[in-house]
Amino acid sequence: MKNQNKKIISLTIRSKENNLDTIRYAAYAVSAAAYVFIKPAGPALFPRPSKCGAGGGVTVEFTPKLLSQVTGHKSQAGTPAQAAKKLLERFREELKDEKLRAEIFEANRDLREFMILKALAYEEPPAGARQEDAGLTPEQEKELDALIAQVESEIKKESAGKRSRDPLGITRTWEEKYGAKNRRKKN
Amino acid sequence: MAQRTAAKKIERTKSGPPDALWRKIGGTYLLTNDSGHYAWLGEKDFRLVMAGGLTERHPLFSELASKGFVRNRLDFNDIAAKWKKKNAYLDQGPGLHILVMTLRCNHKCLYCQSSASGVGDKKTDMDLGTARKSVDFAFNSPNSGITIEFQGGEPLLNWEVLKGAVKYARERAQSTGKELRLALVSNFSLMTEEKADFLLKNEVSLCTSLDGPAALHDKNRLTPGGRSHSDTVKWIKYFQKRSGKQVPEYRVFKPSALLTVSKYSLPRHKEIIDEYVRLGLEDVFVRPLAPIGYARRLWDTIGYDAGEFAGFYLKSLDYMLKLNRRGVFIREKMAAMMLDKIINFKDPGYLDARCPCGAAIGQLAYNYNGDLYTCDEGRMVGWEGDDLFRIGNVFKDSYKKVMTSQATKGCVVASNLEAQPACARCAYKPYCGVCPVYNYEVQGSLWGNIPANDRCGLFKGVFDTLFTLLKSPANAEILKKWVTK
Repeated sequence: MKNQNKKIISLTIRSKENNLDTIRYAAYAVSAAAYVFIKPAGPALFPRPSKCGAGGGVTVEFTPKLLSQVTGHKSQAGTPAQAAKKLLERFREELKDEKLRAEIFEANRDLREFMILKALAYEEPPAGARQEDAGLTPEQEKELDALIAQVESEIKKESAGKRSRDPLGITRTWEEKYGAKNRRKKN
Repeated sequence: MAQRTAAKKIERTKSGPPDALWRKIGGTYLLTNDSGHYAWLGEKDFRLVMAGGLTERHPLFSELASKGFVRNRLDFNDIAAKWKKKNAYLDQGPGLHILVMTLRCNHKCLYCQSSASGVGDKKTDMDLGTARKSVDFAFNSPNSGITIEFQGGEPLLNWEVLKGAVKYARERAQSTGKELRLALVSNFSLMTEEKADFLLKNEVSLCTSLDGPAALHDKNRLTPGGRSHSDTVKWIKYFQKRSGKQVPEYRVFKPSALLTVSKYSLPRHKEIIDEYVRLGLEDVFVRPLAPIGYARRLWDTIGYDAGEFAGFYLKSLDYMLKLNRRGVFIREKMAAMMLDKIINFKDPGYLDARCPCGAAIGQLAYNYNGDLYTCDEGRMVGWEGDDLFRIGNVFKDSYKKVMTSQATKGCVVASNLEAQPACARCAYKPYCGVCPVYNYEVQGSLWGNIPANDRCGLFKGVFDTLFTLLKSPANAEILKKWVTK
């Protein structure tokens, strides 16, 4: 649906097809080309009140910023109608991608948190150490679990604001961290 | 019956979608993940992988599984090790300390990124007390190895203080046991044999600006008498010669040069690169101009958009690859740093492309009067009258206060790619970074609007080029050499 006089392009999306976050992120992705306004869809489209707005759908209105930005190519700006078509195509693509991203995020949230904690706690094995083909031994696994639990608990305490918010010691000076006269290397 | 068995088998082998990012480039998908692995997939395989339906029989299974793109075949240790290596800077503290010896300069460059003042304006010279206090402050960093970079204006205009700061920094390194690297960024126009000797004996690495052949260089870098290019070249040759004759007492580093790309450079990529080759320089850092400080005012005259830069970059890279094929070793510095992340899973110390960015937590800029800024770009904004990025003063503030200042925190939050909606979804997130100073100067907020951000467009162009080049085995072989040197 296009309103050429006001240069506003609008699109109605049912919420059962895409949730509001998905629509918002897709809208942000095209925000270089247009101002995007998301509002509850009107009663004409969803006559029953329970089906309006967030429960039923939203109207996404695009006001192109500059014709050249809509297409992304200054020399191929085309007519306003072509530009509007391209903008909508791009938004739909983003919406499709965003839906997939939401699924991926949901499926991997716990795994991702685990991996980041593991990476933060990871220590490079000393040079020359024998590589275990089968990964960690049960003892090492236990040690790692304990380490992860410790980091987790520290992060929890920090986010509760009960301790210093500097787990890595970035705000501590060299002397505080290693002592005043650590002659490790001659310069 | 057979159909039902097959369906069950697929169901059993389905692992769910992998934690991956993607970008469609010319009909194929580039898949990346947080540990820095990447893979190219066609449309059909992409759909299959993202549905978690890849089975062991698939020809891409072992490659994708080893790279962490198959959810039930993750090598946790490998992923953790690569992630940690790539993000090693997170618990190190600031490594780069930029000391502005003076704002005076004998050049009047068109882009004048350092926002310099006139030669006679001695009130912007750093005094020795401030220089020593700045060095002390730099040594407060918990980083086990620091670099002190002397900059300006033209730092050689404040030679005695520069000399004093070099000596004092070496003493501090002796007493603390910290690894110290010293660097000087100069236009070389005031260099003498005596100064050169002192710098080399103190293992100060030397970097200058070289914008290409004389006509182009002197057009960008204006100086009375128009001798900028000849002075620069004379001293590059001198330092090249000295580095070729190493002595047992100290290491003599090869000189390096920085290229700033102005609008005038765009049609002249070949001449610029040839000039670097002629002078025996092995790195060309094709640096885009940023509309920060003085350059912002002249943007219409000397600036360009992301598309124009991408075109120049691609042509430059292409030409450098051609030269490499002919046996000439020349590499593009930004590409080399990005490739270090992509190929070696390493942090090359490129503070502009980190998450969070290097502002304060990776670098500090020390102004002539001891004022501290998140970075040199933040200092330039301060010189233009806006001290948003000032985070303290070496005489008044503690290291801890500086690290926990509002501007430091603001920059860290704004440059956290996980929190930037467009970046968190971008295939280049594992290798990229945003700049809050750029965002503030160009888009009016630290946060910026990344989808409309020209710096983002520029980085995307660089990454598109590199990943596309890596697809060709012949190009990949050369590019890998750039980071295994």
